[in-house]
Amino acid sequence: MRTEPRPHTAAGTYAGPRELLQVNLSTRTWLRASLTDEVFADALGGVGLAVRLIDERVRGPIDPLGAENPIVFAAGPFASTPVPAANKHALATISPLTGLLNEGLSSSHFSAVLRRCGLAALVITGVADEWTTLAIDGDQIRFEDASPLVGLSAREAAKSLRAAYGDRSLRVCAIGAAGERGVRFASVENDGRQAGRGGTGAVFGAKRLKAVALRGKGEVSIADPRATAALSAALRERALGPKTAKYRVLGTGANLRVLQRMGQLPTRNFTAAQFEGAENVTPERARESNGTYLELRAGCAGCPVQCEHLYVRKERDRRAAAASEYESVWAFGPNCGVDDLDAVLDAIARCDELGLDTISTGSAIAFAMECAQHDLVPRSAFGAELRFGNAAVLLPAIDAIAERRAGLGDLLADGVRAAARRIGRGAERFAMHCKGLELPGYEPRALPTYALGLATCTRGACHNRAATYDRDLRDPSAERDDAARALDAIAAEDRAIAWDSLVLCKFVRDCFDDFETEAAALWSAVSGLPLDAGGLRAAAQRTWERKRAINARLGWSLDDDTLPERLFAEPVAGGPHAGRRVDPEYLRALRAEYESLRASSAAFV
Amino acid sequence: MKVELYGMARALAGVAHVTLPLDDPVALNDFLRALAEAAPALVPDVIAPSLDALVEPNLLLLDGRRALRAGETIRCEDNPCVLFLASGG
Repeated sequence: MRTEPRPHTAAGTYAGPRELLQVNLSTRTWLRASLTDEVFADALGGVGLAVRLIDERVRGPIDPLGAENPIVFAAGPFASTPVPAANKHALATISPLTGLLNEGLSSSHFSAVLRRCGLAALVITGVADEWTTLAIDGDQIRFEDASPLVGLSAREAAKSLRAAYGDRSLRVCAIGAAGERGVRFASVENDGRQAGRGGTGAVFGAKRLKAVALRGKGEVSIADPRATAALSAALRERALGPKTAKYRVLGTGANLRVLQRMGQLPTRNFTAAQFEGAENVTPERARESNGTYLELRAGCAGCPVQCEHLYVRKERDRRAAAASEYESVWAFGPNCGVDDLDAVLDAIARCDELGLDTISTGSAIAFAMECAQHDLVPRSAFGAELRFGNAAVLLPAIDAIAERRAGLGDLLADGVRAAARRIGRGAERFAMHCKGLELPGYEPRALPTYALGLATCTRGACHNRAATYDRDLRDPSAERDDAARALDAIAAEDRAIAWDSLVLCKFVRDCFDDFETEAAALWSAVSGLPLDAGGLRAAAQRTWERKRAINARLGWSLDDDTLPERLFAEPVAGGPHAGRRVDPEYLRALRAEYESLRASSAAFV
Repeated sequence: MKVELYGMARALAGVAHVTLPLDDPVALNDFLRALAEAAPALVPDVIAPSLDALVEPNLLLLDGRRALRAGETIRCEDNPCVLFLASGG
């Protein structure tokens, strides 16, 4: 197993913003440096650049909530250019939930302004003495008192800062109350978008960093404006076509009906794969309600898809509208056995307000419900009865987690892995996580390649990094050999890294005829650095190698690449895939194939 | 033959399922032509204008659990479903 990536050199001049700003909150000092062409040729941007910067700084075990843990913002290299669906940035740190590398993405205006401040990346270390807003105002850096913002949601904090600056164009990334209190799956929000998974919000909180505020109006240079405009126009046109129709018309919540029909909808903490109340909580039901619900649309700056569909009952204040993304609806609906759409939408809105990752929060509550069912935790812990299907317990449970209220709230705020260890008495069998990160809403027992991808993913159970479910879902019953599945898992991981380094929204992934060739051409036109399809694959592979090298230094071992015990021991109950489970020997064989192929990785370049 | 529609197919057709006047077994091309006739709104976003294929990422799964094999015909008891799977949000 190689543990250090191969180097790469540049053959051109990078056109975009190239400044690296390093801020130390303990000493209130900062350092500006210019990244070289070689860095961009090697890592591209976004996740690739963020991972490289973490790799350079994390050379051994560290405390994720300690001063030395860096928070890295790395701009997408297409942000603030005409490239559609690309105003995005990566946000990387060492996760307090998994103890391993965590690289998330967020998007919209903040990402664009990061580059207009001349920045390719921002690295924050140290711990502030008091709650602080880091203000990057053109060339000026300020450490501002954030104590008046404490307790506010990210949205309210942004509003307050804009009012204080008298500038509605100020862009703010902030945490809510959950991050302040160190909930290990607290999110970070900007422009209504969240970097949700892995607890980056808790790292902000540990640094007493409430917000990062940006104001910048600098020009972002493009190497070949004419070629960029032509390629961008073609992508924009395709992004308005049938390949993204689902996102534009229905949103990702439309997956609920589909996965229910396929028997792939994890239900009641993965004790079933179909939910009898699924139809009641599908966001399509709100859309089809003949005016009972108000539908609002939102999306990222510069994106033609505008994928977000928010719903609220018509008689309520529209500010209570909640995003109806599939994973969030699944987490509080089927996974908690709740068939009340209003309760599910309110739970999502409350998580956004408090700054909590919806997948981990819903999973923590589902875990607690099952523990209560087996008398491992008190059923009255949150007032309303803690049991599957009880919609009334969702909001009290969310509030208790966000407040780290003594008892079960505080316990769950550390994630299901840590909570299960503290509860003991067999609670581990109800903790649905990989490497500490809670599982998303797909049924791994009926999706073998996806199961492999979840096990090997460097981030833990992340469907967006180990995006192997796409291939499996196209034919869940297909017989395929181990090598083909391992190859698919590797290709899916590396392709996700390429997307996340460029950074392009994955919702336009079907808009390319030949993604690697077309994306490489786009990179070359924007950046001025030559790249072809093979070069893009090699860059992705280098980043994967860095991810694994970082994790190895943090204590990861191959034994950690596994799945929750339930998926091995308990077959799917009912539905089209009844009786299926993950055979541990089969997973072991797939992992061996995966490791063998990764070791001979030159085959992929 | 009853065909279940999900996602964009259902949104465009305005119904959860359509019944095709077909005797089984039926080849994929005949199936798609009949589906396009029964639900014209599915062309061109779900069914290609040539009426011989679904537009990616729409797909046909039998009983929601397996794809049609090469040369295989479709029977009523297969419970064909037209789905749209792309995700990742």
